[in-house]
Amino acid sequence: MRMVLAIILCKILRFIGKLVGKGSSLPGQYALKVCPDVLGRVKLPPHVIAVTGSNGKTSTVEMIAAILRSQGKQVVYNAEGSNQIEGVTTLILSHCTLGGRMKGDVLLLESDERYARYSFRYFHPTHFVITNLYRDQLTRNGHPEWVFDAILPAIHPETTLVLNADDPLVSCFAQNHEKVKWFGLEAWSGATAEHHGVYNDGARCPLCKGKMAYTLYHYNHIGHYRCTRCGHHRPAPDFAGTNLDLQAGRLEIDGQFAVDLSFRSIYNVYNILAAWSVCRLCGVPGADMAAVISRYILKNGRMVRFRLGQHQGTLLTSKHENSVAYDTNLRYIRSLERECSVLVIVDAVSRKYFTGETSWLWDIDFDQLSCPHVRRVWLCGKYVNDLAMRFDYTSVPAERIVLEPDIAQAARRLAAEGEEDLYVVTCFSDRDKLLEHTQAEA
Amino acid sequence: MKLNMIHLYPELMSLYGEYANLAVLCRHLQDLGVETAIRGLTFEDEKDFSGADLIYMGAGTERSQKAVLTDLQPHAASLKAAAEAGAVLLFTGNAMEALGASVTDKDGKVWQGLGFGDFTTVETDRRTPHDVLAAPVLWEETAVGFMNKCSTTAGITTPLFSALSMGFGNDREGGGEGYVSGNVFATHITGPVLVKNPAFTDLLVKRLFAAKGWELPAERPVYPHEAAAWAVTAGELRSRLG
Ligand SMILES: [Zn+2]
Repeated sequence: MRMVLAIILCKILRFIGKLVGKGSSLPGQYALKVCPDVLGRVKLPPHVIAVTGSNGKTSTVEMIAAILRSQGKQVVYNAEGSNQIEGVTTLILSHCTLGGRMKGDVLLLESDERYARYSFRYFHPTHFVITNLYRDQLTRNGHPEWVFDAILPAIHPETTLVLNADDPLVSCFAQNHEKVKWFGLEAWSGATAEHHGVYNDGARCPLCKGKMAYTLYHYNHIGHYRCTRCGHHRPAPDFAGTNLDLQAGRLEIDGQFAVDLSFRSIYNVYNILAAWSVCRLCGVPGADMAAVISRYILKNGRMVRFRLGQHQGTLLTSKHENSVAYDTNLRYIRSLERECSVLVIVDAVSRKYFTGETSWLWDIDFDQLSCPHVRRVWLCGKYVNDLAMRFDYTSVPAERIVLEPDIAQAARRLAAEGEEDLYVVTCFSDRDKLLEHTQAEA
Repeated sequence: MKLNMIHLYPELMSLYGEYANLAVLCRHLQDLGVETAIRGLTFEDEKDFSGADLIYMGAGTERSQKAVLTDLQPHAASLKAAAEAGAVLLFTGNAMEALGASVTDKDGKVWQGLGFGDFTTVETDRRTPHDVLAAPVLWEETAVGFMNKCSTTAGITTPLFSALSMGFGNDREGGGEGYVSGNVFATHITGPVLVKNPAFTDLLVKRLFAAKGWELPAERPVYPHEAAAWAVTAGELRSRLG
């Protein structure tokens, strides 16, 4: 009875919430008060897929949804990104019959690393995809091992784990767990023998802290590893990406299916491999999937084009406190080999709670900008001095660096001089402070 | 003029960009005409601290800290000998806890510390990330930065900061933070702490010169970006105090 009440209450509140444009966590919150174990009582669809990890959750979830829908499956997922238990409760109950049966073939959840254990207390996913774990928003998350420990209690023995074989920390989830499927990327021309980046979180084994040996690195600590002390090593993937050619935008999966990459980044390759693996496990034929992925256009809000004076501008949105996201964009700029200037903005440091934390600037590989085609590096925003200090410790020549604390002033100065391409690297929390001074371009 | 520095477990113990503490300190010393050499020292290396003028360790994960403690503990005496011979020690983040008598992890297991002080640390299953405004004992300017710890430390009678107007001290919110004894310095403040606090860098430079019996030049370089970065952060944090 309480379950039925909770479902009705949730549906009514959700209806009202939609009318007044309110968020999706409140209905679930009230429903949980009425019936705390309601998620354990409702009947879920045959497939419940959860996706978690530091980066790529949303893109992976959207790709999984697109693939499964192409198969005529009805997919319910938290597109609004409300991935804490209240939001998950709202999502599930608002798709339930009054008898407590959830409509749809697949429940697909983007799950917050820190809250998964609360969401999965009363039910568990049939498939749990874990994409990667690395330094991301350390103010909030502590560090990758802390996040690992937070995810661990969310894993039910009956759940099939779908894990990134190339991440030495993620692969530790397979310890003491029977049902595991692996995805990974085999050698390709962009893989390197040496580690790149300011810090190396793959240097030591997450299990025993012994010295790790890599035969190749795909990026950061993602690659083919083996611990020289305890033997912890990259497992052979069940679903392998082979013959990757980023320049040509081609990838082969399972040794037989060719996929065209609409978005040519190594991170997108991993999102595809994750989505591919879990959809294969749900019975989608490889040929169908290859066709869907090849046609798939990533909704990519990260890259925005604009004009500023004579400059053709491109905004590459990163995330503050996420050095991997910055490194991605800096590497992209370096690969262009076309004369340009780069504008880095740090105005509001933390996206959520804190203000003065700038340690992540020292984890970013700004040396990437030390190349002949990067003519100037503009540093901008309230934390311009912290940026200037950081750049004092890079190989970027001092005469190429321009400091301008005021974002509007930087826009005016750029509009008045130069016509080289302009790349803006900043967080979505700071990007509009520049974009409002530019002309949008399709 | 040359200074030899040891960076303890550089791969594991630099979780919050803390390698930058050494980078900034070395830059300041070089600008004063001092040649600096940094030697990384990790598990496989011989624990030889002789001839070290400065020994640094930064923050790591809880598991890394325990691995390091286990590896370093048998060599505590030679580390102490290095300090007594005049080396400056700087331990930041949870490396500070290693200097005490023990660290009790969240499962209740007790790990023996290096025994520089008789303080004890207890870990919890909750982190207390927080901005920091701290009153230094040894210099004037308020210290700024951040902490991201999951522990409390009891029994420190000589803190590096007498009180915090923002942040969690050794054993309570607002209380004394860090540890100092002679030339042994420790704090949970990251940011990293020397990058954010030029006055602290300056103090260490003076101590390193004094330990060598060198005279500081009358004219010293200025660092406008460092001063301005500190002022902006201090201003922001103070405005949040209301
Ligand atoms: Zn190992």
